[in-house]
Amino acid sequence: MKPRENSLLPLEDAREAALFFVVGALCFLAALAALSAKSTYGAARAWTAEVEGEYTVSLSGADASAADAAARLLAGLEGVEAARAFSDAEINALLEPNFGKSGLPADLPVPRLIAVTGAAEAGDIGAKISTALHGAGYDAAVDAHAEWAGDVRHMLSISRIAALSIVALLSATAIAVIAFATHAALLARRDIVDVLHVAGAKDRFIAGLFERRFWLLGLRAGTVGALVALASVAVLIAMGRSGADRTGLLPQLSLDFPDLAVLVVTPVIAGLAARLAAGITVMRSLRSVM
Amino acid sequence: MTQLRPDMFEEAAVRLDGVSLRYDSSEEILSGIDLVLKPGSFSFLTGASGAGKSSLLKLLYLAQPPSRGEVSLFGRPTSRLSRDELSAMRRRVGVVFQEFRLLSHLTAYENVALPLRVMGRKESQYRRDVEELLSWVGLGERLHERPETLSGGEQQRVAIARAVVTQPNLLIADEPTGNVDPDMAARLMRLFYELNKRLGTTVVIATHDLGLIRQIDAPVYRLADGMLVQENGEATATARRRTDPLRAMP
Repeated sequence: MKPRENSLLPLEDAREAALFFVVGALCFLAALAALSAKSTYGAARAWTAEVEGEYTVSLSGADASAADAAARLLAGLEGVEAARAFSDAEINALLEPNFGKSGLPADLPVPRLIAVTGAAEAGDIGAKISTALHGAGYDAAVDAHAEWAGDVRHMLSISRIAALSIVALLSATAIAVIAFATHAALLARRDIVDVLHVAGAKDRFIAGLFERRFWLLGLRAGTVGALVALASVAVLIAMGRSGADRTGLLPQLSLDFPDLAVLVVTPVIAGLAARLAAGITVMRSLRSVM
Repeated sequence: MTQLRPDMFEEAAVRLDGVSLRYDSSEEILSGIDLVLKPGSFSFLTGASGAGKSSLLKLLYLAQPPSRGEVSLFGRPTSRLSRDELSAMRRRVGVVFQEFRLLSHLTAYENVALPLRVMGRKESQYRRDVEELLSWVGLGERLHERPETLSGGEQQRVAIARAVVTQPNLLIADEPTGNVDPDMAARLMRLFYELNKRLGTTVVIATHDLGLIRQIDAPVYRLADGMLVQENGEATATARRRTDPLRAMP
């Protein structure tokens, strides 16, 4: 039986194995950074949507029944969608980190809390709530969550920009590494290029050999990097779920369709970047000979 | 076999007009060389080591542009050709390198088929030709062996088969019989002769083998001090020789 015809370029050597590792590692980091950026963005959007229009009213010197009456008063106000007084159990749960599970000392004066949700498009109703409560004789303080949501939004947008910058930096690094490696591979295989050149191969033909080689290298290395990133995310998700009540405001990694799309696209981008870098490098190099 | 075509004789196969060559700022290796080789001619190029034979051959197989002057192949000044046209021109030239330049990761069969793959031919179109050619040079049983397992002479035969497999218009060979025994040398020279006679291939052979040169009635060009001097025959190589160049070969 006739052996299968070999590629005009030799099989991978140690240099390409090292390049495979580097590209794979860069793709892993890039994929992870992209997923983090997306999760940060999603967390910021979800969290700010949650706190927009949310108010917490604290009533000093009021008991539970007074708090319920105040909540009913607020629920009747124009622009208020819902108002609900916190139960003792809920207040104890909020203070548990400070006072432990034994609950509050009986003689400690604790304000009653009312959670108020503004109606959509109602705008800032903090002043209206305050006026209504003071008018009814309550000693009340109104906290609009949106006042400090801006700071959190700002912080998350900085995190998002940082993650995107890391993605861009890693991508640029991968392309530069591939371009450098392609050039080195070309120099190492100068004899092959010369023979092909003298045999009448067009520049495009020779470049095509290197493009195919590096496209496959980028694709395979990117796939490995993306799979490792997928495994890492899965582990982080599992760890996050095991401590779900303590994850706070940290961005939650997920594996929904856009996340999987990022993982699928990563090897393709790596392959295309490798192919482009190889093509440009080889064509430039060939232009220097007759 | 391809028949000689009238257009083959219309222009010189090789024409050098005032060609000089220097690398970077070094002294000129070749100085003001004029040469006309008509289609179908058979010529020898000789000269001492370092005289510039390989450099002159590089100009002929379009691996190097001259520093001055013009190299024309088949009636076309190569300095005016686009890169794609240069590639197409190179496909009409077969080259046997002194150091063979076989690709070590390819088998003998694949090395010979390389120019055909470059030309875009399908393996089904060339398989038999390549196998027959390798059999002809005595390597029919070693088709799928790599160069490292072949002797120097066998590698040289593979290199020659690769150079002639496309039936080029111009064949350039640098010491093509340097590593083979006399019988094989005669056999290879017969191959060059057949190409020259039957296909009208213009053949230029660079060699130190004065015995070979003396036995063949063909123009001999000697390179010395960067100049090219014709040692015998006509002022330029003629289209057809009047005698069989291999009449004295064993």
